[in-house]
Amino acid sequence: MDIFIFEASDHYIGIEAKYIYRIADNVSIVPVPLVPACYEGLIYYRGDLFDVIDMGRLMENEASTLHDDPYIILLKWDAGKLGLIPDRIVGMQWVETEAGTETVFNKNGDTVKLMTPDEIWGKLAGLAYGT
Amino acid sequence: MELEKYQKIFIQESSKYLEELDAELIQVEKNLQDQQLWGDIHGKIHSVKGMARALSMTDLATFCHAMESWCKLFQEGAKTADERVVQLFFDGTDLLKAFVAGKGKISEPEHLERLRLISKDLAKDPEELSDQPEPELRQSVAPGKIERLRVDYTLIESLLARSQEIMQLEKTLPPLTQDQISAGLGSWINHYISMLKGLYFQLAQLRLMPVQDFGELFGKTIRDLAKAFNRDVNLEIAGGEIEVDIGLMDRLREPFMHLLRNAVAHGIEPPDEREKAGKARDGKIVLKAERRGDQLMLTVSDDGRGLDREAIRAYLKNKMGMRQEDMKALSNEQLLGIICRPDFSSASETTQLAGRGIGMNVIAQAIEYLGGTMNIHSEPSIGTRFVISLPLSLSIIYAVIFRLGKYTFAIPTSHVEAIESIDSKSSEKVSELCDLKGLLRMDGEGTGKGHIIRMRRPPKPVVSAEERKGLGIAADAIIGNMPLMAIPLGELLAKTGLFAGVGIMENGDISLILDLEKIQAAAA
Repeated sequence: MDIFIFEASDHYIGIEAKYIYRIADNVSIVPVPLVPACYEGLIYYRGDLFDVIDMGRLMENEASTLHDDPYIILLKWDAGKLGLIPDRIVGMQWVETEAGTETVFNKNGDTVKLMTPDEIWGKLAGLAYGT
Repeated sequence: MELEKYQKIFIQESSKYLEELDAELIQVEKNLQDQQLWGDIHGKIHSVKGMARALSMTDLATFCHAMESWCKLFQEGAKTADERVVQLFFDGTDLLKAFVAGKGKISEPEHLERLRLISKDLAKDPEELSDQPEPELRQSVAPGKIERLRVDYTLIESLLARSQEIMQLEKTLPPLTQDQISAGLGSWINHYISMLKGLYFQLAQLRLMPVQDFGELFGKTIRDLAKAFNRDVNLEIAGGEIEVDIGLMDRLREPFMHLLRNAVAHGIEPPDEREKAGKARDGKIVLKAERRGDQLMLTVSDDGRGLDREAIRAYLKNKMGMRQEDMKALSNEQLLGIICRPDFSSASETTQLAGRGIGMNVIAQAIEYLGGTMNIHSEPSIGTRFVISLPLSLSIIYAVIFRLGKYTFAIPTSHVEAIESIDSKSSEKVSELCDLKGLLRMDGEGTGKGHIIRMRRPPKPVVSAEERKGLGIAADAIIGNMPLMAIPLGELLAKTGLFAGVGIMENGDISLILDLEKIQAAAA
């Protein structure tokens, strides 16, 4: 399967390419109160509303290396929509493995952790909102 | 003029039913004993008959009635249909189409002859038809001109989104000096933008749905509820030709389901009770739509027993500790409005279908979210009427948009009483305002010293002095009073608990729509 790989807080994360809807840039992210630190805000893109998440903060709860006009990886799957901000987009790679949680493989000596959108969503849903 | 209007509606509606009838006949031909399908076929023909009768199209109504009589036999299992019967129904449907095209009349000799033959067959026992020789093979006729398409709602949404995105390109036009931009180019750009806006609004019209279609969604449910509660109920739809945005209608589905369920479960009396009270055995529920200015008025009324005022008084006494003299001081509107309180229930016992005590509160909240209002009228043994007023636009609400710190918020305009500038003399007032910055944990952000947005009194009836105070919210700056496309909150943002939705402005900017009831509750 094709894996889309990006870097966030020194982690290499891979997401199956079929979940990638677009890579957007030059889109202003609207901040929202009462959300966890990793929740950057909302964007309205092509008629859809996306929650935008700083992946570095979600993975390590550390300040990310965001720049002013970040790329946003837009995911769309049957259960939801998310925009992910990486530190860096690495690229695509074909791997001979079945998609699954915690699947790991190597790319140029670095360990890439495969994640599904549902896993990311699960992490987000477990955070505190409204406080 | 009125007659022409109704004839047009008749042609539109009947054509839709007859198209569906063809499809159902194809299905029933494969399962001749499917009683439910025969029931559906019966329903379609009955609907055409009802409209024909309303417009005094006697010949058409009589022909429909003859077809219905046979449907009933197959629907009840009294007779079994065969392929010849289905063919007769196909022929009958073709004839119905000719009737509809002729606004209830047929004059072609071929049609008149076919009417005579089919009517003769329908006057027989269906089993007699089976004894007749095989009908000749009919000549295949091409379907009529294609005038309407069924389009997936999501495609319309997608087209709208795309055209909105193209409109937003206007914002990315690089700044050009007067030297760089010729008069011709400037005029071309303006024309291009106006064409795009025209396209957007034409596309937006694709989202409209007649109220008639909306009302008919509930026909089967009302029938089932009536059976479950042992009631005889007819649903009537008035103003069905008014077209309303499908998004708005979709959000009204659940509230209307509650209203209609309550009307059947609590409003309409059993047939014997109605007869004793001098009423028709059949109860009547009317869904009426009308336009008043920029408002859509939707009324759901029934001719049942009216709201249970004793239950309301018992609630006021037992749950709110209200004294008799205070109850007497309440206006009729205030008294009836109590049924919209979250913990109110008049049902003596909870059933699977009604009496959970959450319905009216859910309805009131949904209507408030849509920027609408609801008035309740009820008279003992005469009936109950819910009058819902909604902004008659797409799923678009008008809202006051304001900035506080780095955030942009919206409040539906229908809730705003006034906007005042804050000057040095207003400091006393500011201290009385809702602490929105505190509620939103905006430490050190925004001054909240630009304007005060004063809300109207809460839409639900107030019964205490505390509730009489309207909410006041301080803003850094008012952006404007403008239309917003309201989108429901996602699962994550819904957890914040203080927002009612997300608003998209015409230029694509986003604002958060405040849930005033929750904010007032949190502030208290």
